[in-house]
Amino acid sequence: MIEVEKLSKYYGSLAAVRDVSFRVGSGQVVGFLGPNGAGKSTTLRVLAGFVGASSGRVRIGGHDIEDERLEALGNIGYMPETAPLYVEMRVTEQLRFRAELKGVGRPGGRKAIAKEVSRVIERATIADVADVPISELSKGYRQRVALADALLGSPPLLILDEPSAGLDPNQIREVRSLIRDLGGEQTVLISSHILPEIEATCSEVVVIDQGTLVAMGTIADIRREQAPVAIRLVLSGVVEAALVAIEEHEVVENCTVAEGPHTQLVVQLKSEMVNDVGGATAKLVACCVATGALVREASPEAPSLEDVFSRLTRSEGERMEGGP
Amino acid sequence: MRGWWPIFKRELLSYYVTPLAWVVMTSFLVLQGMHFYVLVAQLAAQGSQGADAGPVQSFFGGTVLLYLPLLFVCPVLTMRLFAEERRSGTIEALLTTPVHVLGVVLGKYLAVLVAYVVMWLPTVLYMALVARHGDVQWPVVGAGYLGMFAVGAGYLAVGTMTSALTRSQLAAAITSAMAIIGLFMLGIGAFILPDGPGRELCAYVSVWGQMNDFSRGIIDTRRLVLDATLVVVPLFITVRAVESWRAP
Ligand SMILES: Nc1ncnc2c1ncn2[C@@H]1O[C@H](COP(=O)(O)OP(=O)(O)OP(=O)(O)O)[C@@H](O)[C@H]1O
Ligand SMILES: [Mg+2]
Repeated sequence: MIEVEKLSKYYGSLAAVRDVSFRVGSGQVVGFLGPNGAGKSTTLRVLAGFVGASSGRVRIGGHDIEDERLEALGNIGYMPETAPLYVEMRVTEQLRFRAELKGVGRPGGRKAIAKEVSRVIERATIADVADVPISELSKGYRQRVALADALLGSPPLLILDEPSAGLDPNQIREVRSLIRDLGGEQTVLISSHILPEIEATCSEVVVIDQGTLVAMGTIADIRREQAPVAIRLVLSGVVEAALVAIEEHEVVENCTVAEGPHTQLVVQLKSEMVNDVGGATAKLVACCVATGALVREASPEAPSLEDVFSRLTRSEGERMEGGP
Repeated sequence: MRGWWPIFKRELLSYYVTPLAWVVMTSFLVLQGMHFYVLVAQLAAQGSQGADAGPVQSFFGGTVLLYLPLLFVCPVLTMRLFAEERRSGTIEALLTTPVHVLGVVLGKYLAVLVAYVVMWLPTVLYMALVARHGDVQWPVVGAGYLGMFAVGAGYLAVGTMTSALTRSQLAAAITSAMAIIGLFMLGIGAFILPDGPGRELCAYVSVWGQMNDFSRGIIDTRRLVLDATLVVVPLFITVRAVESWRAP
């Protein structure tokens, strides 16, 4: 649905996006993740045809965003970061105008437009403000009107820039379940700097930092690749021999010890052990038992996505600073 | 052209839900009402034998009072068109829908043109008033309105252009007012320059000269060509400006 090839965007000498390539297949719900200023909105603006790329190619549903602009845009429902609306209009007026602009219901005419507008009003649960002037709406409601706008005409691709920014927890939950429902029939690309947001809705993520792509894949993949695989062991009894044995074991990269009522170890495995954490655990337990220590607990240590995220974006930051 | 119709409708609607259009329209009508009153009073004082022109001709060709308000009305009518969309960010939503830039520009321009025509409509009453007490040559009235339409169409196109070239409404209004006043001043050259090509050029672009002709029922196509140029060139620049916003 989306093909991005070596996309770069410069604002003057500032590289907001550099050499980013990724693909999104039909029906996927993909998260576009990165810290503030990473270049998320800039990338999405290029995808939605609002900002021209400095170099690189973008294809939406097989149409080049430059050469076949109208065809490409016809596939997209875009919700900009600022959720811009015409404040002098009422909610239904705004949506009717936008539906006409997008050619919704052509050639069905008025009836088809009215039907589509009430469908998205229903979908975004804004029926209670349908006749209110937009200037009188709260931020959360404006956000949902902008979301309803993007849904008009059920475009094959939805590009949503931080759709749940400014919503209260209940509304966030509603928006998330809405986005999950959309997946499958529609392709969805949502940006966020909040991890739970992405974890709750997306099957895949693209992580970007300082304009460059730092990771891409399913959440599980990224967690596995980026996080060192580790095992947590809790030992008691005579542990000194066990510690030495573990330090020197062939599957172990390194190991940190925390004293307490029991000896707690976090053992980092060598990266080739990724696919056999269970086997490695068995080996280490056997090794400890052989030295006479008691193993009270042994469990794989799953890194949180936060760890992965901060590792990805921090290491990139350090690389930048250390660069020439 | 795609997209012009919904944009046209929305712009027109937003004129009449904001107080600005009403303020502009009312002040314009008050001014023209005064203008008309002064003319009629003057003609009445002179008596019919002294007047070398009837009220209709005087209204359209006799004084600058007819189009002086346009120098301010046109910039105010057009200043919002693009500047406001850029300020509020709605331009991002607008330009990411499958519409042609030409459709966006024409939709907005036609809306302001219609608002302009509507603003003139009540003045037809003056003509009806004159018709009750004397003869009105309706073709001459038509020519007068055609002249005002053509001149205004050019000014509005200039205003549309400056609204796209600046980021604030105020700057848009000031720039277009300056451009329009500049055009107007060129016309004054026809009175002060010595004979020669410079003077001819000034006479050619002079609104005064144009309305003088049109108010006598003389429709000079060269004048209309000039007015059409003043519509097409600024609108072309507007389209290019809007397209350039997404430049790499
Ligand atoms: N119109 C612009 N002109 C100049 N620089 C810009 C412009 N828009 C964005 N930038 C810069 O480009 C970089 C990326 O901005 P962008 O808005 O894409 O970040 P983001 O990932 O969306 O951040 P956030 O999470 O805060 O929304 C920033 O350094 C920003 O200052
Ligand atoms: Mg952003």
